[in-house]
Amino acid sequence: MALNRKIAYIDLSSGKVETKPISMEMRKKYLGGRGLDAYLLYNNTKAGVDPLGPDNVCLVSAGILVGTLASATARTHIAGKSPLTGYFGSTNMGGFFAPEMRWAGFDHLVIRGKAEKPVYLWIHNGEIEIRDAKDIWGKGVRDTQSIIREEMGDREIKVMTIGIAGENLVRYANVMTEIKNSGGRTGMGALLGSKNLKAIAVRGTLDIKIEHPVEALEYNKQIISQITSAKVSQEQGRLGTLFIWGATNSQGLVRTRNFQLNQMEDSDGIEPETFEDSAFGMTGCFGCQVHCRAKYIIPDGDYKGTYDEGPEYTSIGAFAAEPGCTDLTTILTGNHLVNDYGMDTLEIGSMIAWAMELYEKGILTDKDTDGLDLSFGNEKAVIEMIHRIAHREGLGDILAEGPLRAAEKIGKDSIRYQVHVKGMSNLHSDERPTPALALGIATASRGSDHLRSRPAIDLYHLPEAVLRQIYSQPVAYEGPLTSDYTDYEGKSWQVFWQEMCYMAVDCLGICKYHTIFLGPNFPNFEEWSKLLYYNTGLELTPLEIWTIAERTNDLERMFNLREGLARSDDWLVDAYFDEPTKLGIPLIRDRVIDRDKFKQMIDEFYAFHGWDEQGKLKPETLKRLGLDKEPSHLL
Amino acid sequence: MVWRRGRLILSEESRQETTSERTARGRTHGAFRCLNCFERIVPPEKAESYKCPKCGFEWRVSWPSPTIPRIRGPVWETNRRLTDEIMAKEKGQGK
Repeated sequence: MALNRKIAYIDLSSGKVETKPISMEMRKKYLGGRGLDAYLLYNNTKAGVDPLGPDNVCLVSAGILVGTLASATARTHIAGKSPLTGYFGSTNMGGFFAPEMRWAGFDHLVIRGKAEKPVYLWIHNGEIEIRDAKDIWGKGVRDTQSIIREEMGDREIKVMTIGIAGENLVRYANVMTEIKNSGGRTGMGALLGSKNLKAIAVRGTLDIKIEHPVEALEYNKQIISQITSAKVSQEQGRLGTLFIWGATNSQGLVRTRNFQLNQMEDSDGIEPETFEDSAFGMTGCFGCQVHCRAKYIIPDGDYKGTYDEGPEYTSIGAFAAEPGCTDLTTILTGNHLVNDYGMDTLEIGSMIAWAMELYEKGILTDKDTDGLDLSFGNEKAVIEMIHRIAHREGLGDILAEGPLRAAEKIGKDSIRYQVHVKGMSNLHSDERPTPALALGIATASRGSDHLRSRPAIDLYHLPEAVLRQIYSQPVAYEGPLTSDYTDYEGKSWQVFWQEMCYMAVDCLGICKYHTIFLGPNFPNFEEWSKLLYYNTGLELTPLEIWTIAERTNDLERMFNLREGLARSDDWLVDAYFDEPTKLGIPLIRDRVIDRDKFKQMIDEFYAFHGWDEQGKLKPETLKRLGLDKEPSHLL
Repeated sequence: MVWRRGRLILSEESRQETTSERTARGRTHGAFRCLNCFERIVPPEKAESYKCPKCGFEWRVSWPSPTIPRIRGPVWETNRRLTDEIMAKEKGQGK
């Protein structure tokens, strides 16, 4: 059956490997993927553990539906205490790794300790071997995968790996798989690097038994039709996630020149449609029909002729909007470099743009940059800084430390120009006109985050009646809801609802683009209940899936509270409240977040969670979710 | 919706429309919303730009498929001018 995959405990210090089954009780409490990872992280680490020390654990997992007949079930989740924020570290990537890991017999890996010398893991049909990584240490993401496949003589091997940035412990290094599937945010690549773990290679041929195959296939056909017929999917299948730019920049919801402006005016040359000239078709992840990843060749510059995939919406932000660049080649080259170095696009773009503003203000000088002109709009400087950060050279060594540590090292009021939450940089979106989106980034468990609770459909101006249908199930909600995205009313419920929705897909292993993220009528709790039953035989009502999401969200919160998180950390930098937007359509201009109303939103958000005024779980909430006996050590 | 354990496949309930299927019936093709006033606009086939008949904001249009127009970007000059006029008016009214 689909639920007989195991959990493996791997100690890199001792070389010991132990495997255990996952009980049905744990499945019903956490499903898998991010859910079970939250449980494992909480119970396998102690408060204050050094994120880059041997006692931190690195968790690698597949969602419970991964590799089944449910579509877009490709997601690999990686977790640990974050080297970037010191809080819950978590990332989620597409590709083909997680299905292969399940076919190899495993759903979860718990990796602790530190290898004496660089190693990689080889996982094959229930067996796990720790191997010497001397031939791949120091190699980029692509070469590492090629060398392993060549050495093993099997081109079908799937590899997740770190690049040079992870080896150099860049605090926002990614875990990568294939050409560009990225486990970004929170520095899980640095966590692998700290353990001398270069890569994990998997190959599996063990069948996953589908409990009700005919119904699973039939139902999945309906889901595929529901998704592929939607406008957003068709735009995404043509332009990738870049398609979002058309709406956000047109309105003025994009932060540019660090956080000085909120729109890239006259930026027609970097619009997604322009990018189509360099692309030659789309590709996708396991089991997905949307195919949102463009294949392209860099058209000119130092990397002319190089193949890569993407870029994503975040790439426009990182290599154009934030540093004020307007050359498509910079976006394509920057995307290529971060993919091969294994670094977080969003974080590196923010760090470079921040350094550019410091240079503009005279806080950083030519002496600090070793003569590099860090003016906004200097395309070559952006590319050069990517190299320097990956190799930790000069100023790059400081920027590799992430927002808070870098600001501390530079000093001189530099923190004032940082745009972060909990020590993680914001997306290149400007949330000053959109309180709901602002609340999402302020309260997300892994720091500033657009993928943990963002009600992106709030920007669609959907009729209130439609909003009510969406947001009133599987838990009844009769409070206010409004189509006006500049409003504060009812938005905390939308953020709370989306938080549960995204947590559920992360436990199931489904891509977020296949739920209510950008598509307002995409599958959610009701559909997942059926998918779970047909594919795994597990019977859970939509409400029970919601409760699992709540439990897991709260366990992540408990982890963060144990690490010292306070209500004051669920907040935005001062610029959100004090510096009005300058550009965009009338609805967007002259907008700031209202401090008092925002505080009230946070109060409401905490109340929906069953948290007290300080953001701590109330005793009755702990009891209701069965978290009152954590740590439990059931696994 | 009532969900009965062990009877999910056979039950009538399982064949009921879900919320997302219900809301999907309201989908519109061939149209997009003006990003300024949110009016639903139906541009002529293959149009490269289109002015919102309600507010006058003008958008450059691209077509990911023959039935799906999308906003590629603003007609900068038009929208900047209109925004400046509206903001000046609002300022004059003390807003």
